[in-house]
Amino acid sequence: MPAATETVDATSWLWSHIVWRHWLREWKLTIVLLLIIALGVAVFLSIRLANKAAVSGFGMFTESVSGESDFQLRPSAGLIPNRSLRDLRHRLGSLPVGLFPVVETTGVIAGDDERLVRVIGLDLVAMQNAVNYAGGISGPQSNAQREAVGPTFLNTDTLVFSGDAFSQSRGISAGDELTLLFGDREVTVEMGGILAENPNLPSIPENLVLVDLPSLQQLTDMSGVSRIEVRFPEGAFRTEVEFDASEILDAIAEENGWLLETPEQRKESVTQMSAAFRLNLTILSGLALLVGTYLIMQAMEAAVIKRRAEMAVLRSLGVTPLEIRKSWVVEGLAIGMMGSVLGVVIGFGLAQGMVGAIGRTVNTLYYETTSNAIRLELGEILFSMGFGVLASLVAVLIPARDAALTPPAQMMRRGAPGGGLLLLRQRWLGIAVILAGLASSLIPPWVIKSGPAVPIGGYMAAVFMVVGGSILIGVFFRPVSRAMRQIGGRREARSRYAASQLARPAGRHLLTAAGLAVAIGMSAAMGILVASFESTLTAWIQQILKADLYVSGGGNSSVDNRSSLAFDTWQRIEKMPGVSGVDVLRQYRFTLDGKDTVLGASDYSDDLDRTLQMVWLDAPRDTSEKNLLKLFDDKTPAWISESFSRRFAVTKGDSLTLPTPAGPKSLSITGLYADYGNEAGMLVVHRNFTRDWFSDDSITNMALYLEAGSDPEELAKTIRSTFPSLKVQTNRRLREDSLRIFHQTFAVTYALEGIAVLIAVSGLGLALAGLLIERKEELITLKSLGSTRKEIASGAMLEGLGIAVVGLIGGFLISFALGWVLIEVINPQSFGWTLTYRVPWTMFGVLALITLVTAAAVAYLVGYRNAEVKSDRED
Amino acid sequence: MKALQVSRLTKSYGSVPILKEVSLTLDCGERVALMGPSGSGKSTLLNCIGGIDRPDGGSIQVGQVDLGALDEDGLCHLRRKTVSTVFQFFHLLPTLSVRENIEFPLHLRGVEATERLERVEKLIKEVGVESRSEAYPHELSGGEMQRVAIARALSIRPRMILADEPTGNLDSKTGEAILDLLETLSDRHETAMLMVTHSREVTRICSRVVEMRDGRLLEEDIAV
Repeated sequence: MPAATETVDATSWLWSHIVWRHWLREWKLTIVLLLIIALGVAVFLSIRLANKAAVSGFGMFTESVSGESDFQLRPSAGLIPNRSLRDLRHRLGSLPVGLFPVVETTGVIAGDDERLVRVIGLDLVAMQNAVNYAGGISGPQSNAQREAVGPTFLNTDTLVFSGDAFSQSRGISAGDELTLLFGDREVTVEMGGILAENPNLPSIPENLVLVDLPSLQQLTDMSGVSRIEVRFPEGAFRTEVEFDASEILDAIAEENGWLLETPEQRKESVTQMSAAFRLNLTILSGLALLVGTYLIMQAMEAAVIKRRAEMAVLRSLGVTPLEIRKSWVVEGLAIGMMGSVLGVVIGFGLAQGMVGAIGRTVNTLYYETTSNAIRLELGEILFSMGFGVLASLVAVLIPARDAALTPPAQMMRRGAPGGGLLLLRQRWLGIAVILAGLASSLIPPWVIKSGPAVPIGGYMAAVFMVVGGSILIGVFFRPVSRAMRQIGGRREARSRYAASQLARPAGRHLLTAAGLAVAIGMSAAMGILVASFESTLTAWIQQILKADLYVSGGGNSSVDNRSSLAFDTWQRIEKMPGVSGVDVLRQYRFTLDGKDTVLGASDYSDDLDRTLQMVWLDAPRDTSEKNLLKLFDDKTPAWISESFSRRFAVTKGDSLTLPTPAGPKSLSITGLYADYGNEAGMLVVHRNFTRDWFSDDSITNMALYLEAGSDPEELAKTIRSTFPSLKVQTNRRLREDSLRIFHQTFAVTYALEGIAVLIAVSGLGLALAGLLIERKEELITLKSLGSTRKEIASGAMLEGLGIAVVGLIGGFLISFALGWVLIEVINPQSFGWTLTYRVPWTMFGVLALITLVTAAAVAYLVGYRNAEVKSDRED
Repeated sequence: MKALQVSRLTKSYGSVPILKEVSLTLDCGERVALMGPSGSGKSTLLNCIGGIDRPDGGSIQVGQVDLGALDEDGLCHLRRKTVSTVFQFFHLLPTLSVRENIEFPLHLRGVEATERLERVEKLIKEVGVESRSEAYPHELSGGEMQRVAIARALSIRPRMILADEPTGNLDSKTGEAILDLLETLSDRHETAMLMVTHSREVTRICSRVVEMRDGRLLEEDIAV
């Protein structure tokens, strides 16, 4: 009797002797499979890493410059008065708590007005801490400067300090002079020294300049500090001190309407502003992986078809269906693992290139940040790899099931068709899934505490629409087949043969068309979103931008730009010859319910010929300036933007309390308007009120209306020459800039769309290869009937084109539905913007053309290659 | 004891009946040829006996085992231990060498390495492919491939071998040699053999010929 065990698991043996050897024998296909997964994972990971690095720059260094503070106190709006620091110290009594006032503003360097510089004013002790934190200081060249370093290194108000990155990117060395522009002020300072990088700590941001606090206050005319950083002593008493001090600090914060936060809380609340943007990017990156999943599914199906006879033999030799299924799953897992590892490497490289683009967008749209070096964290690696492995596992499960369950007798029948998802033949299921999508779109958004609203129902609706649409793809095959027959003519053998294949689509036809439709659908839907956004934005800009010239402080158009124009300055501009009227605006950042937003203090001309035209969603009774001046129920009237309304769940008729340096103020909302320029939302009141509340007569933005016959360019030149630090733009230039920023925002989106379509068309090639392998018998017959290799290839090309047409029709229909979900559900819920639905027909045409041409080329090549069959050879 | 007892077997594909009340028996070590025109149901009968297709009615008993009582795993074990198949197109596993192809069913059965090697060596010699033992299927001639397929079928020492046109894809000279080999090895291992064939030549090594037409066995027990 042979020594035998009845429960032998053949999986490992199958793996080492069958699967692995197939991989080696068909190494090209193996590499393609690995690359598909790798590309999907790489895109997914790189966007996550770049997102993180692009926003992690915020605060990492600057929030810690005074020595890694434990808390920070900051006003909800405006500044903390200088005297408050003394009061604070007094209230804390003998508690050994370090208090470090910080003044923070932005400026630009003369000659480099596109890059904002963050200027931090620190007191002497904090500056010394910053130097220690950074790892020392280097570079003062002169004796005077050398003397300045040390206990008295901030004795002079014209010395500034920065990091290596700042120095290198601008070619500024220690001892060099540079001219800083703060709003309408111009100051020449000297680079006192370069802070050395500490390899163990976050790098010093490229745009950071440190300066003596009193000097900065003087330079910028600030009568208070931006925040006070609080530090508890290390050692045995820390907990006790922290307990007592926290109680006092809490009370002080409450009395003054300030906020007491840890640096982490602060960072979180700021970066939340861009959370929706980053979430969208992450979802888009998932698109690449989703399309990749379809592709792997096709590739795995092709592999199953190719090895059907082999599996039948295995079954005839006694291998169980479970063992066969396990071996396929192991194969999918192994490909997923290896592809994911490769994806992590590629993704790391891609992230390096992407971080700059995302950082620029975040800078422009949300807040000033610096991109940090990409850091590959284990958590991110595992998350992305998990995604990749899961995708390949999902992709392999159905083919594995098919492979295991198809009876060996059926598999052995030569040329027996099979494969494909049975799911794709269930039309009722497709309709049910789409109906479920419609129902999901009614689900309200999920609001994370003081964070962004997540349109859960919208995302569910999007997934249902895509899946439902792909299930229904089969209905288009017959019409396309009929059209092909008619176009090709009755005598054209190739088109008749291709049409006959499409008339009774195999599972593989359905799967391929579904994969293509998903990629096209999602890309085209993004196109609809972008076109709708652009069209709405253009119309909005046209209505809003009526003035001839726009003046603001130096620097780019970031909403974080804190440059302002002093009263005298803007008064002088208003009185310049040729100016017929002005609208002015003072923007203040403030915090409401823990979320940062913007207060706009408006003071605009009420001349009907040139008045500011708001786009009203719910207009006040009187849309003129008077509406903002007249108290409403003893409350200050205010208009709010749509984003503000969504973020703070208030609308016309509601009241709210605004924190100001002069105490909380009651506001009554009298109007709701559309604003596509600020995702954080804006609350508009008249400047007459804020002048008192903030004791501030400066402004941040100015719109100039010119007298008839005045040349805007000429006046712009005059203003620039009088106030070189100001940014002056003509109407046309501002419109161009707005659209440039818009396109820059969506640059990553365009790249991802391209990748998705590329992956989908590659899938078409793989699927056709699978179909032709499956139909080898037919190809032999065609050859025996006298068809040339080129004719067979042409037939395959027509068939590929037919599948592509079905994919395009299905994809465009999916995109209409998905576009509707994006515009009517997801966008209002996550951004609070109402957009006008617009289909970019030109983009659709280009997408269709690229898809058809690529599909035809790929299908012809695959057909040509597979047409070389020998009747005496087995599979 | 009978090697095979088939009783009133029926099988249809859709509405088309393929096997109509087929009954057949094989003694241990007996070789029977199953003949008939294409589409008469020969291969379907073979697939049902081998447990790779399920009949709609009737019963099949291989040795003591009633196939109708076996689930999918049970049928797999039957193929691992009791019934082997030799195909017209050889169906060797392309990624395995000659030696590994013969060895594979023994792996599935969990036969110990020493015994496995011993059996494989012996079979390699018996079928005459000693010089090709490390070659892969695509490096072999048709005759060589069928020799390896026969060795693989015999490796588990089955009670019965089912052969579907074993010489159908070979030239006449090679076919002759394969038939001689099947006869010798079947006698040596006392293995029953049911061979589907179109070729009268094959019947020379069989004790009986049964003929199928339109899903029925027309004639039985024709002594050769």
